[in-house]
Amino acid sequence: MVAFTVNGAPVEIDGQDNKPLLWVLREDLGILGPKYGCGVAQCGACRVLIDGASVPSCQAFTGDLGGAEIVTVEGLAEADGRLSAVQQAWVDEQVPQCGFCQPGFIIAATALLAEIPRPTDEQIDDAITNICRCGTYPRIRRAIHRAAGVLATQG
Amino acid sequence: MPRLFSRRGFLLTGAALGGTAFVAAVGGVGYLATVDVDGLDGHLDGDRANLNAFVIIHEDGRVVVNVPRTEMGQGIHTGLAIVVAEELDIPFDDRISVEFPTDGHAAYSSWFNALQVRPEEAGGPVVWLARRALGRMEFIATGASGSTMGMWHPMRVAGAAARQMLIAAAAARMGAPVAELTTGDGFVHHNATGRSIAYGELAREAAVLPPPDTPVLKSAAQWRLIGRSQPRVDIPAKVRGAAVFGMDVVLPDMLHASIRQAPVFGAQISSIRNEREVRAEPGVVDVSIIDGRHAAVVADSWWQAEQAAWLLDIEWTATEADGVDNDSLSVRLHEALSLDAPHGHIDDGDVVSALSDPQSAVVEADYSVPFVTHACMEPMNATAILRDGRVAEVWAPSQNRVTMQAAVGRGMGWAGIRPRDVILHVMMTGGAFGRRSDQDVIAQAAYLAARHPGRAVKLLWSREEDISRGLYRSQAAARLRAALGPDGLPVAYDALVATQSVFSAMGSRNMPFTPSPDGDYLSVEGLDKLHYAIPNRRMRSQHIPSHMPVHFWRSNGFSFNTFFTESFIDECALAAQMDPLAYRRVLLRDSPRHLAVLDRVADMAGWGTPMAPGHGRGIAIEECYRSVVAQVAEVTVADDGEITVDRVFCAIDAGLVINPDAVIAQMEGGIIFGMTAALMSTITLENGSVVETNFHDFPMLRLADAPEIEVALVDSGQPPGGAGEPGVVPIAGAIGNAVFAATGRRIRALPMATTETTGERRTRSVLRPGAA
Repeated sequence: MVAFTVNGAPVEIDGQDNKPLLWVLREDLGILGPKYGCGVAQCGACRVLIDGASVPSCQAFTGDLGGAEIVTVEGLAEADGRLSAVQQAWVDEQVPQCGFCQPGFIIAATALLAEIPRPTDEQIDDAITNICRCGTYPRIRRAIHRAAGVLATQG
Repeated sequence: MPRLFSRRGFLLTGAALGGTAFVAAVGGVGYLATVDVDGLDGHLDGDRANLNAFVIIHEDGRVVVNVPRTEMGQGIHTGLAIVVAEELDIPFDDRISVEFPTDGHAAYSSWFNALQVRPEEAGGPVVWLARRALGRMEFIATGASGSTMGMWHPMRVAGAAARQMLIAAAAARMGAPVAELTTGDGFVHHNATGRSIAYGELAREAAVLPPPDTPVLKSAAQWRLIGRSQPRVDIPAKVRGAAVFGMDVVLPDMLHASIRQAPVFGAQISSIRNEREVRAEPGVVDVSIIDGRHAAVVADSWWQAEQAAWLLDIEWTATEADGVDNDSLSVRLHEALSLDAPHGHIDDGDVVSALSDPQSAVVEADYSVPFVTHACMEPMNATAILRDGRVAEVWAPSQNRVTMQAAVGRGMGWAGIRPRDVILHVMMTGGAFGRRSDQDVIAQAAYLAARHPGRAVKLLWSREEDISRGLYRSQAAARLRAALGPDGLPVAYDALVATQSVFSAMGSRNMPFTPSPDGDYLSVEGLDKLHYAIPNRRMRSQHIPSHMPVHFWRSNGFSFNTFFTESFIDECALAAQMDPLAYRRVLLRDSPRHLAVLDRVADMAGWGTPMAPGHGRGIAIEECYRSVVAQVAEVTVADDGEITVDRVFCAIDAGLVINPDAVIAQMEGGIIFGMTAALMSTITLENGSVVETNFHDFPMLRLADAPEIEVALVDSGQPPGGAGEPGVVPIAGAIGNAVFAATGRRIRALPMATTETTGERRTRSVLRPGAA
């Protein structure tokens, strides 16, 4: 049995050590924000935070997650429902089109800003490697800079 | 191969493909029942007051707008909610939500797409009859960039009708004359007495009133919302991870399915050699063969189904296509340009004489593009259940209710079930790009549901199935020739394209007969260049059949023909020793709408300002989907051939724009979608099978490689044009022309680069020697 937390709630998963976290989240826990897009860590639609790091959950195996703190896109908003700075920037810049890949981008951007509060364009290029077929990249870049600015003024 | 086509199914799928003539034929067989074309009668439904087919008002004042078009990223739910809110005279805020209605009301029909008649200009008995036919067929489709053009007027009328019914209800309550009542902020006001009643309070009374015969629309001067960017209604849920895509459908006691389709399209399954072993895998409930050609594993979870599917040892039948590879396809493609008797589309003037005139300078070039695929971020999926042995219910991301309904009948028919009722739920759709107007996955899910009556089955294709067993934009080649007069301008233009007819292929998959490929306008759109003033013009096409299942792909023929033709115009300009912009300006002398767009984009890009060596600027323009779009690309080409697209400028005249930011977003996204195809995308065949399987070998442009994009909307005073596809159309030509400006190398084949991996999920594009 493996015990970890998802969005603050403790969970225990039994006998599924080789099942990718993505499918444990979607099928066993009913957490549907992380999406299946490729299954081979290429597209990033399944990204979640594992102990603060942005990880493609299709390649994270449940057996390795004992004690981990996992946060999905559903866990980013405040308890009162207020969007996180990154989510709010996504709304303010009207980023999503089809929106299917955006949970993964929002997770990747959240991890980036935790590590580098005011990233340069080059740092964004290096950190944000997800795929968006709709082509929302210019707005994603703007939204990351916007969220960085908001977080900086919040101290 | 057993295929059941009910009369209804035949008509439904036919409607997707036919135009006016087809509809007239349907009318001729007397198939029509009475339908309410306008659908404006109100009724009560629980706590929802349906004022008509589009407007629902709750007692607390919340407004639900029925938008019978698929939200697949283009923002149509927002755009059409805006026009309703405008006429209803309510603020555009979070009291407004959008639903895709589950009933196939005639008022939801996509008859604009089939008839190409704007609703605001429609009239006469033929259109009336066709509308009835399409409404009866539940021809509800989202595509061809037509949703705003087709629905903005009917939904304004619906909003205005609802407002007038609310005013009438208020007049009855207040005992005040209608003429003294005004609306605003969701209330009906009587200024003389200072009384106000909220819409929510009036809705139930209003819903049972007769609708006005001719609702009075606001004048453009009265608009507060139309033409001003509004935030999209779907975005808040999408950033919370709460939007429910087809893949996210969860039903009680649901089964999950994975699939393995033939590596060579058309192959059948001879046997599954290890079916017994696969059935014994954890969680596996069923292993079956769908329609003789797909192997499916049904399990308690998709992960289990997919793991078990990897173990399937399937013997496939041999097909005539087993020996087909890229070389043989390419040979067939280029040979097709020399075959006899191509289909003629345009033959104006005397092209042959002009081309053989010794006074003419003849420019000739061949171009080509490969097969590519859609790669929607949400892989193909559908969830189906068969209840009581006769009621089928399906949830899926889909662009077309007609083919959806036909697919349910087809799939259940494979299991010997003919459902009496079919309930369809069109879900939030994770990209579509034309792909989801074919419903292969829905037919498959329907079959599996029929095998497991009473239990919902969710079928999800792996990404590998999507890329290597899916549907494709056809390869294409063109031979373009022009005879230039002494002034360097074309006296004659001769265009021949060879490609596989999409309508023909789609028909062969979905209909009991195959439409003739010859008249397929999708093969030649973007080829005619009618806006360029050229006295002699010929346009022909050659259909190249192949075993590949080709399909609609965002902008269809424009996706290759505009690359061919706008590259070729640059080649003509070069031969004429004229600047590409100046050359186009002369050719557009009779097309002021195009000229305005061209001049705008040239202005934005600072056309003519010097660029450093290795840098170049290219321009392209097209008229498509009743819009005119032009782009300038700025590229950098390094000594080793690495190409970077630094900036793209885009001007579009999409006529009246409802939600400007949504059109800007479609231009941005279309440019990036088109860049992926121009620089990176190719589907390779070996032994009849697609080689590419996933994003590592069918790469996508990523954020680091996305250019800066600047978009301008040009207002010509025209009614709305399309916006979903135009952004894709000029970009390949603009980039190719920019490469020429930077390097002197003419790109005549796509993709123009190979994708090299430079780090974890980082790539660079290097021009292919063979592309020029």
